[in-house]
Amino acid sequence: MENLFITQTDFSSLMRKLNEKSPLYAPRRKGDFLFYERVRSDSLDDIALGEIRPIQSLKSFLIPPQETVSQYFASPSFSNKEEKIILGAKSCDLESLKILDSVYSDGDFKDPFYIEARKNIILISSDCTVPAKTCFCVLLNVSPYPKEGFDLNLSPIKGGFIVEIWSDKGKSIVEGSKELFREPEEGQIEERDKNRANLVNRVKEINRDFDFEESFREIIKDSLDSPAWEEVAEPCVDCAGCNHICPTCRCFLLFDKKGKKGFERIRLWDGCLYTGFARVAAGANPRSKLSQRFANRLLCKFDFFPENMGLDACTGCGRCISVCIGKIDMREAVKKVRTKSLSDS
Amino acid sequence: MENPYQPIKTKIQEVTRETPNIKTFVLEPEEPLHFKAGQFIQLTVPELGEAPFTPSSSPYEKEKIKVTIMETGTVTSALHSLTPGGVVGIRGPYGKEYSLSDFEDKEILIVGGGVGLAPLRSLFFALVHDIEKYKRVLFCYGAKTPSDIVYKNAVLQDWHKINPERIHFRITVDEGDENWKGKVGLVTYTLDNLNEEIESIEESVAVVCGPPIMMKFVTMKLLDIGYKWNNIFLSMEKNMSCGIGKCGHCQMGKFLVCRDGPVFTYDKIKDFPTIWD
Ligand SMILES: Cc1cc2nc3c(=O)[nH]c(=O)nc-3n(C[C@H](O)[C@H](O)[C@H](O)COP(=O)(O)OP(=O)(O)OC[C@H]3O[C@@H](n4cnc5c(N)ncnc54)[C@H](O)[C@@H]3O)c2cc1C
Ligand code: SF4
Ligand code: SF4
Ligand code: FES
Repeated sequence: MENLFITQTDFSSLMRKLNEKSPLYAPRRKGDFLFYERVRSDSLDDIALGEIRPIQSLKSFLIPPQETVSQYFASPSFSNKEEKIILGAKSCDLESLKILDSVYSDGDFKDPFYIEARKNIILISSDCTVPAKTCFCVLLNVSPYPKEGFDLNLSPIKGGFIVEIWSDKGKSIVEGSKELFREPEEGQIEERDKNRANLVNRVKEINRDFDFEESFREIIKDSLDSPAWEEVAEPCVDCAGCNHICPTCRCFLLFDKKGKKGFERIRLWDGCLYTGFARVAAGANPRSKLSQRFANRLLCKFDFFPENMGLDACTGCGRCISVCIGKIDMREAVKKVRTKSLSDS
Repeated sequence: MENPYQPIKTKIQEVTRETPNIKTFVLEPEEPLHFKAGQFIQLTVPELGEAPFTPSSSPYEKEKIKVTIMETGTVTSALHSLTPGGVVGIRGPYGKEYSLSDFEDKEILIVGGGVGLAPLRSLFFALVHDIEKYKRVLFCYGAKTPSDIVYKNAVLQDWHKINPERIHFRITVDEGDENWKGKVGLVTYTLDNLNEEIESIEESVAVVCGPPIMMKFVTMKLLDIGYKWNNIFLSMEKNMSCGIGKCGHCQMGKFLVCRDGPVFTYDKIKDFPTIWD
């Protein structure tokens, strides 16, 4: 992959130029979390390109929390999605796109709303610089710095960024502003690589209590009947916050209502932790117990999805840990399931 | 690109009352929609919602689709209030069809309960269409009372005349009335002395559709009698929203029922603790 260098000032010029054509979204700190916000080219100073992933995931850009997908016997247009430039997405979020793509862009039926939105994002990702206690990408073999799936990636170093190009879109951005990029000077690539090695070590250090011999996949597989789930799910209040915040929880509900032109169908985010998610007519519910729903979410991520797609449906981003009202840490949950099965065998 | 969430405008041509809470709708979509036996469709009542149903008409009938619907909640009640000329929406077909080529030269047992007869009727028509390919069809059906029998004339008379040599019937009601001369008992009783009509239980396939509790007891009995796991075909009714393998509502272990089903052989699903819920 080609490495280039861009100074902080030239990077701002590049953003100004790109922003003339398409809106720009970047993380900004607000209280405890980073949030993606629409930024203007004159307010680039306080965006957070390093740090960690923003609390919203890329899902918000591709499958909005609600979107009209059908109207009275005429399909709403899906080919009018505007191009958006998203700055500062992290490696775990690029990973989450593999999962969303496999659901929405693959299979016998394709979701044109997702596919169009996906085509129209430009991803200028960046390396994490300060991992949080909640980060556990490394446990799932996800790198804490982007390796693929971006258009351009930025690695912050002194005075600017090392820029990597991964896609044709990224290449054409660089080619359109050749004068802003230069070959890295001696030591600059080494500086980035040192940062990255430190980063990997820090995330490993954060997770030293959870670096089990077996993978999460192996621990969770066949755990459906584990008595540990009852205990783990005890503090859960089935708010489905974990579902909504998760970059790979992708379930939705089609909801019909009266709109201006007759009926309108909305695709709404839904969550498998809600009591009624799987309830059928006349009230039978295959997952009526909260612990069953809690277990099902993790089984979906580490057993069912891998069985179907060969991929974990979790990236280790830690968002579900950050938002949980019951202060449930998924790593602790996996640990309890593991301990229980070890003590039983 | 097609929008898989967009229903086709569809006119209701005819509505027939089958039982106090079941009606059959004859639907004429603006664009033809070709399904195979076992597949389902999504039916929209504009502004009120959508629900999955398995067509009850013959897959060989191209212009019209019949759907037999029991009233149980929001969407089904709204459907029941519609009359000929009314407009609904239709999407589909979705899911996997019965692989009828695997039924060839076999004895086929069909077991239905209640409104579960609807999808079985479509299968039945498909079998009748090529009846010489199959060795025998034994059709077992149970309803609560005589007035709960769906497609009553067909089930009690007309179908019996189609091919009396190859197609046999065993009909029962849980509770008879003064005019009922047939058998009384749960549908599982129709499975007694099966060997009188099925020569090789080992080779025979059984297709079961009905309320979960009925499917459970029928399956247990079939296993007892000697049916093989992979010869028992069960319709799984799960909560569904999209019907196309995206929304996650119908997830059952590693399967999405709308995509991998809705019909599964027992061997595929026997280990899920909650298949009957
Ligand atoms: C594969 C399959 C085949 C089936 N075949 C048949 C059949 O042939 N005949 C039959 O009688 N039954 C059949 N069923 C069962 C049938 O689908 C249910 O009885 C039906 O879904 C009940 O819907 P309801 O709204 O009346 O009930 P409720 O208990 O009110 O269910 C609510 C459901 O209605 C839908 N809904 C409600 N409001 C809205 C809204 N505003 N927007 C969108 N959706 C909304 C949602 O799907 C929700 O889950 C089948 C089910 C499956 C899974
Ligand atoms: S966020 Fe926490 S409390 Fe809310 S549903 Fe998820 S696990 Fe339960
Ligand atoms: S389950 Fe939690 S850690 Fe895994 S991807 Fe979802 S939010 Fe991130
Ligand atoms: S009904 Fe949506 S995935 Fe099956």
